[in-house]
Amino acid sequence: MVCAFLVNSQQLFLCLTGYERKWNLQTEQTSLRFYSTGMTLDNINKPDIDRIIRVDHAGEYGANRIYAGQMAVLGRTTVGPVIQQMWNQEKDHLKKFNELMVTFRVRPTILLPFWNVAGFALGAGTALLGKEGAMACTVAVEESISAHYNNQMRTLMEEDPEKYKELLQIIKKFRDDELEHHDIGLDHDAELAPAYSLLKTAIQIGCKAAIFLSERI
Amino acid sequence: AGWGCRGWRCRVLRCPAQRAFYASALMRRASDEQKQELPPSSSQQRYESHPPGDRPDQEPQRSHHSYTDQGGEESEDYESEEQLQQRILTAALKFVPAHGWTADAIAEGAKSLGLSVAAAGMFHTDGSELILHFVSQCNSELSNLLEQQQKLVQLGQAEKKKTDQFLRDAVEARLRMLIPYIEKWPQAVSILLLPHNIPASLNLLTSMVDDMWHYAGDQSTDINWYTRRAVLAGIYNTTELVMMQDSSSDFEETWHFLENRIADAMTMGHTAKQVQSTGEALVQGLMGAAVTVKNLAGLNQRR
Repeated sequence: MVCAFLVNSQQLFLCLTGYERKWNLQTEQTSLRFYSTGMTLDNINKPDIDRIIRVDHAGEYGANRIYAGQMAVLGRTTVGPVIQQMWNQEKDHLKKFNELMVTFRVRPTILLPFWNVAGFALGAGTALLGKEGAMACTVAVEESISAHYNNQMRTLMEEDPEKYKELLQIIKKFRDDELEHHDIGLDHDAELAPAYSLLKTAIQIGCKAAIFLSERI
Repeated sequence: AGWGCRGWRCRVLRCPAQRAFYASALMRRASDEQKQELPPSSSQQRYESHPPGDRPDQEPQRSHHSYTDQGGEESEDYESEEQLQQRILTAALKFVPAHGWTADAIAEGAKSLGLSVAAAGMFHTDGSELILHFVSQCNSELSNLLEQQQKLVQLGQAEKKKTDQFLRDAVEARLRMLIPYIEKWPQAVSILLLPHNIPASLNLLTSMVDDMWHYAGDQSTDINWYTRRAVLAGIYNTTELVMMQDSSSDFEETWHFLENRIADAMTMGHTAKQVQSTGEALVQGLMGAAVTVKNLAGLNQRR
């Protein structure tokens, strides 16, 4: 609520002062060249792309911290290798978004230090409930993230599927990876975790809040 | 009074019909004034000397067109109000050293384009738009310059500079753009710091330091992204303050000061890295101690 109010009041302020918009114009429509692939993107919708890359980067960063927290607790148990394998995939995802962030000149969210601590605490906290707890956390998080990726793909498809082809492919591949993690979690008795549905709902509400904030600040 | 006036202008710009009315009213005012100032024959001559697209007496007509096609589909010779404003402001910069960042300079600029001095009425009286226009012009000039340098490096025609050298040169190049206006620059800074100008001037400052770091090859995607930009913005602003009081030839002292500040920032970066690695070592030590305590207490049984 408070945040929405802040955003609104900022817009209101911009309306009142009116002319500030003009000095932003150069950032609204941008053309970028990918030196690596030789592909050019003219007139991309910069604010939308900024938001997508910023929130995805924050999400992968948070996921990395969650797996780090789980590994700190469960690293030497039987599920250790499974978690490590999923973590390695998340590391690749984060690396890709780091690259995209530099290419598109996107500002990272200012909440990263907070996600650093919160992600690790969530991972370690659920892992302390046992390996089922950790897996329940994985299921909840990956479910939210894949739903979020699906939403982004819908947005990009509505914009222009051809223009954002490369980005769509990346998001699609990552979405499939996250769904795979979701299934791995279910295979490892996630549903046997204590207070599974409560835990899952709580974590998913947290994820939604994190997505909302990371898109904006 | 300033707020009331601004609100009115806002509304005018928002609504196409009123906007057209505003433009035509302005131009009617303009031609009236010219009639008063000059005898008819010479005013006629003056009109003829204009390039066809600039004839002020055509303006009301064109505005009538815009009743129907305001959707950005105007004919190609149509100049939008914004483009006209940009043109006037660019012309006005020549008169800043003499008149300061004032409506007078804008009026002189409009006059030099053959428009009425009443065109200054399109802008705020405090000259803030003139300053913001100048700053954003300098910023794009700088980013073009840095882009060219980057291209030369990519083609192998120039050597890649070290980060501190690159930033020093970029800030110096940007500050040198102020030299023609340095006498009047303190006035501009004070206007940019007025509360209602802060969002726009902050935006221009951040986009400038972002350009500098981008071309310096910054790859950070963590909180460093913010600290680097904040530090560079701080360096730029303090150096700017030094520059305004510098009386040495070719601002030698300013560039000396700038070099020292950049060196300070680099040392700060190294120190921060050392502190971080010390912290990490400390955490590892504590974790090790915790494991030892756990083992001693017999809590480390495998589940």
